[in-house]
Amino acid sequence: MKLARIAVSVLFVALLALICAAAGDFGAGVQSLQSRPAHTVTFTRDIAPIIFQNCATCHRPGESGPFPLLTYEDVKKHARQIEIVTRTRFMPPWLPAWQDLKFADEMRLSNEQIATIKRWVEEGAPQGNPADLPPKPKFTAGWQFGPPDLVLKAAKPFLLPASGSDMYWNFIFPVPIERTRWMKAIEIRPGDKQFIHHANVLVDRLENSRQREKTPGAGFEGMEIKIESEAFDPDSHFLFWKPGTAPYVEPDGMALRLDKGTDLVLNVHMQPSGKPELIQPSIGIYFTDHPATKFPMLLQLQNDRKLNIPAGDKKFVVDDQLTLPIDVDLLAIYPHAHYLGKDLQATATLPDGNMKTLIHIPQWDLNWQAVYRYQEPVFLPKGTTVHMRYVYDNSENNPLNPNHPPQRVTGGNRARDEMAHLWLQVLPVNFDPKAGDPRMILQEALARHNIENDPEDFESHYNLGAMLQARGKLDEAKAEYEAALTIRSEDATANNALGAALITEGEPQQAMRYLRIAAESSPNYFDAHYNLGQALTATEDFSGAAEQFAAAVRLRPDDADAHDNYGSALAELGKFTEAEAQFERALEINPKHTLARENLEQLRGAMSSH
Amino acid sequence: MPLRSCFQLAILPALLGCVCFAQSSATDLNGRQFDPVKSNPGKVVVLIFVRRDCPVSGRYAPTIQRISGEHESAIRFYLVFPDKADSADQIREYLKNFRYSLPALRDPSHVLVKQAHAQITPEAAVFDGKGRLAYHGRIDDLYVAFGRARQSPTTHELEDAIAAALAGHSPAKQEVAGVGCYISDLE
Repeated sequence: MKLARIAVSVLFVALLALICAAAGDFGAGVQSLQSRPAHTVTFTRDIAPIIFQNCATCHRPGESGPFPLLTYEDVKKHARQIEIVTRTRFMPPWLPAWQDLKFADEMRLSNEQIATIKRWVEEGAPQGNPADLPPKPKFTAGWQFGPPDLVLKAAKPFLLPASGSDMYWNFIFPVPIERTRWMKAIEIRPGDKQFIHHANVLVDRLENSRQREKTPGAGFEGMEIKIESEAFDPDSHFLFWKPGTAPYVEPDGMALRLDKGTDLVLNVHMQPSGKPELIQPSIGIYFTDHPATKFPMLLQLQNDRKLNIPAGDKKFVVDDQLTLPIDVDLLAIYPHAHYLGKDLQATATLPDGNMKTLIHIPQWDLNWQAVYRYQEPVFLPKGTTVHMRYVYDNSENNPLNPNHPPQRVTGGNRARDEMAHLWLQVLPVNFDPKAGDPRMILQEALARHNIENDPEDFESHYNLGAMLQARGKLDEAKAEYEAALTIRSEDATANNALGAALITEGEPQQAMRYLRIAAESSPNYFDAHYNLGQALTATEDFSGAAEQFAAAVRLRPDDADAHDNYGSALAELGKFTEAEAQFERALEINPKHTLARENLEQLRGAMSSH
Repeated sequence: MPLRSCFQLAILPALLGCVCFAQSSATDLNGRQFDPVKSNPGKVVVLIFVRRDCPVSGRYAPTIQRISGEHESAIRFYLVFPDKADSADQIREYLKNFRYSLPALRDPSHVLVKQAHAQITPEAAVFDGKGRLAYHGRIDDLYVAFGRARQSPTTHELEDAIAAALAGHSPAKQEVAGVGCYISDLE
């Protein structure tokens, strides 16, 4: 029997728009004090060190900056522009305000540095003494960790049109491995970096995404993808690229599992440049021999249901909170809203009443959305309440407002809808390994919390059902699946899950009703055909069963179980030669398939006695 | 001898004038001096200032090409490149990459920049049929600040100014500052 699948929603999301932080000096106070130069500010002595360290990583040929900033001439040609974008903190692009909990790779100029740039520009941007010039910054050419163990290139380039709004395209990379491998690092090369705002890799273990391609390798459009996982296998890692961020090596024990047949799906957010561009990303993968011993999980707080923002509302607040059922280390955070998002904040209130700011983005900018990793893991004990508070501006004053004049906006997946999501990468700590996977406790708490927020939350009813089924609580699981089906009666996944639960309970007759809906509403859904075949077999309708298993092996020619079951149904129908071929095929795929071997022997015995 | 110095005095101003003129006028991509306004008497002339290294300029290419295409017969459009470091070949390459079919001018001495009061790129200048500067400034309000763009513009200053110039009156707005890369950074 195939396990019911867990719909792990939606990792990122992407949207479009442009931005800039008209930010204030929210970096104040933090900075190392540099003494203000009393002399004339010169490029070689004062400006070059700032530019080389903070700008040149991106502003050099082949990187995301639209022009290089490597020489005096380069910088002089953009002097006034640099003064403005640093003063407004549009550059370097770094959205979070200063806070106690530090992020890795913060890109932030000090107030002193910004003042120095301003003075230099006001004084006519002089070059200064060439002898003062620091050495040019050195960058690693090519792959940042040396030649990857595996390089995957998109099968076909995507043609980004010259104009229009932002584009979200998904490239599928089948991972050509013959056995399970452990990935410790990934370098995402999204294509011509000047046109890419961010990119994000999702792990697709069931070839879900391929169904969305018109032809193999073509890719598909869309800013949000839903990936299902078999059994309980929640998303665990952020695999994210944004301009200026170096690739990242997972800590010891936190490698990501890649199985034979896994697809990596790269979601790329692109912005038209004025001329057509061919975008053909590649991915470099670095393996380790050390399997994962620590299993983080991506927790999502969200409250899209509260998003019902009246036209003209300048300060619409959405919040959500979740109390953690176990101790965790918080490793990284990823806030997400669309164009109306203005001020995004997340805090943690510890059981002792202490409050920590996890992140605060005072001027949200979808274009510079990012995953933020903490310099050190943030310990959040059981009983900590994580609170998100997002403020939205749906007035005419918000230039990014997609509607003119403003209109009422509600939650949803399209660019003109809004979102209120907060993702946390947490690592359970201090748990009893014998008590089962602690992430299931988190997942269950999350599902119950979401249902409390929104009784109509289909996915949470479904996930809670899957969680309960995994723990053997079949009756409660069925109730959750039924609740999910009152919301989406035709949903193939939920119908299949309920059908599978009923088969487990020995109710194949009842199961068939749901499995038929699943197979009919989603004809390419392998599990539904397979499970329906099982139910028909159990009711001794072998001809119906054979039909379903035939569909199953068409969909997955390499599934040994499906061939074995198909063979059994054919044998029951007296179609011995055809049955024999199915058993043989099952054994060809998996020579250790005991059931297929026994079936084949039994069949051959029966054939010879005929 | 006096006669000779007299002769020199007489030709010197002319030579100077000639040299100055050669340096200070805009040229086409073949290096020929060209005054886009004087060369098109009676016509509405639109100059669009662009920098090759300015991403805002680049993003406007399809808009500029569309607007110029819609007024092909009635108006003379020119792209003006104010960066003295831009060679004619680099500009030709840029035109090709951005699918421009507009004539381009080099303005290394910023003669046209001054004539059009241009501050940034991309920026438009509209000269009416009498050669007077009727509008200069942004093309539309797509950008609110650096990197902060609307999903689509809500005002269309260049097209409004063109319509007014073609109708023979002055536009409602004669000057609107835009967002882009500073031409003064090139000096």
